[in-house]
Amino acid sequence: MEIYRKVVTVRFAELRIRDHVETEGFGGFWHPGIGQEGLQVGAIAAMRPEDYLYYAHRGLGYAYAKGMDMVPLFGDLLGRAVGSTRGKGGGTVHFASAEHGVLGQGGTLGSNFVLGAGTALASQLRGDGRVTVVFFGDGASGRGTWHEAALQASVWKLPVVWVCENNGWALSARFEDQSPTPHVADRASAYGMPGVIVDGQDALAVRDATADAIERARRGEGPTLIEAKTLRIRGHYEGDRQPYREDQVKDDEIPNDPVHRLGALIPDEQRRTIDGDARRYVEEAFAAALAAPRPDTSVIYEDVWA
Amino acid sequence: MTTMQQPASVTGAVDSERITGYARAINEALAEELRRDERVFLMGQDIGRLGGVFGLTKGLLEEFGTERVRDTAINETFIVGGAAGAALGGMVPVVELQFADFLFTAADEIFHKLAKWRYMHGGQFTLPVVVRLPSGVVGGAGAEHSQSLETIAMHVPGLKVAVPATPADAKGLLKSAVRDPDPVLFFEHKGLYRVKGPVPESPDFVVPFGSARVARPGQDLTIVATGLMVGRAVEAAERLAAEGIDVEVIDPRTLVPLDIESIVASVEKTHRLMVVHEAARTAGFGAEIAAQVQERAFFALDAPVWRVGGSDIPLPQDPTLEQAAIPSADDIVTAAHALAAV
Repeated sequence: MEIYRKVVTVRFAELRIRDHVETEGFGGFWHPGIGQEGLQVGAIAAMRPEDYLYYAHRGLGYAYAKGMDMVPLFGDLLGRAVGSTRGKGGGTVHFASAEHGVLGQGGTLGSNFVLGAGTALASQLRGDGRVTVVFFGDGASGRGTWHEAALQASVWKLPVVWVCENNGWALSARFEDQSPTPHVADRASAYGMPGVIVDGQDALAVRDATADAIERARRGEGPTLIEAKTLRIRGHYEGDRQPYREDQVKDDEIPNDPVHRLGALIPDEQRRTIDGDARRYVEEAFAAALAAPRPDTSVIYEDVWA
Repeated sequence: MTTMQQPASVTGAVDSERITGYARAINEALAEELRRDERVFLMGQDIGRLGGVFGLTKGLLEEFGTERVRDTAINETFIVGGAAGAALGGMVPVVELQFADFLFTAADEIFHKLAKWRYMHGGQFTLPVVVRLPSGVVGGAGAEHSQSLETIAMHVPGLKVAVPATPADAKGLLKSAVRDPDPVLFFEHKGLYRVKGPVPESPDFVVPFGSARVARPGQDLTIVATGLMVGRAVEAAERLAAEGIDVEVIDPRTLVPLDIESIVASVEKTHRLMVVHEAARTAGFGAEIAAQVQERAFFALDAPVWRVGGSDIPLPQDPTLEQAAIPSADDIVTAAHALAAV
């Protein structure tokens, strides 16, 4: 129920942002995560509030699922002072909340691998019992940082879980054209860790797989690579017309839509209530962010140094 | 080296001193900080069982164990990026890249993650990370193991940059670096590891960042130099003194923050300035100091600001050729003669 509520809330948020980009334009790049909300919310549902999150760049589902409010997330996207980064990291990729263990994201994809391993090392050294979850796409799996982080994390049995969202596309590059093996998870054995493949459109299956990996990490048995098979519904960024792609799908025809799969488990009346509340929450949060002032230009000189 | 002034201590007291090597001073700073703060840990290639390829971390594994003195694989992106992540998780990582040149193999982690993570995320995080970078020519290490890259670090906002020239500064600046809440690139000069000098004994001894040191006082001409070049500038100054040219040598000690006030104050006294660095002359930090001084004290200058720097070439591996590519004390004397005559 809670997973459905979050998934449908994120879906409404995705649609609200898409509408805004289409009608009003946008001061940055938005990398939509529509259709991938189920795996994002599902995996994070297996985390404790104090666990650490490094998310991927496709959408805002991760940050919301980890406990952040929509207002600072929309605020970042809209370049408002209420954004979590106060205009410094607005756009798509730098939502952060120290309070919620949302440690941010690098603009160079795949850079989270090494940071995530390092944060897991801190937990191991401090004995704080926390696990770090690192999301990434099939595209970022090509980075050398993956190798360096995965190797060291396994050697030291660091409490980190790698969640690959394989949506089949790295911008214009098809996964099958860029991988010598059919699955990202096939690479896990090289690092002596389990590689798990799960249906990314099945939020509950992703939650269960992630829970197993997190418990393993917490027991001190090291990392797990989870590959959630999903698909990219929109372009790489909003406005990408995808001339390289022939299998385009429409937003209202999401195959195996996680919203409908979860929604089917909930009585109709209850679902209508959840949907109505979620839609209202998203509309109000978006309106609040839109109405908020832009940051004063004086903030550009702040936060360089501690 | 014994001609140099005793470094300032934040305690303000006159510390007892003993003669210690530059490498030993770094080793002591690491040990003292590991003892002082349990969040501090070390990570790098061959720093544990071997004690570092230059011996800087000898004995630390034995005292602090494999948890806190960690040998990594050959993975610079993890060493630096992992340090950034560990800092976000509440630790104070002090990591070593085996050669300063390897900052290019971890460039994304240094120039993007360490330098910008706090800023990009609205100031929510601090990254108290020290990256130790064995720097400069050492005698035949070649083009990819000998560079002086401190100016590149200086050009990317968000990184503090230390360039110690004496054992006391190596120890005092490193201890300040570990205690600093911001990321610090610590360029220790490989050619100075065996140099000895007085080092205060107090475990509270630190050298604050942004505080230049007068390595030799003088009246006629100011030379700003760092690292290996400080000793060569002082040697040149002694020779020039015999000819009646009284040179003041200033070592900024940190390039970020830069104590430009002390440099300007010296120029207002001597009216002539030369900057000497081992790094390639073009677009080195000498250019920046020259620009800042002419902006602040143009009318104090009796002559153009001169730069004496490394040749604009990759460093050759042969030790004799290598020395020909960087400023010598002779080069500094020759340049000072010409500048004094302007």
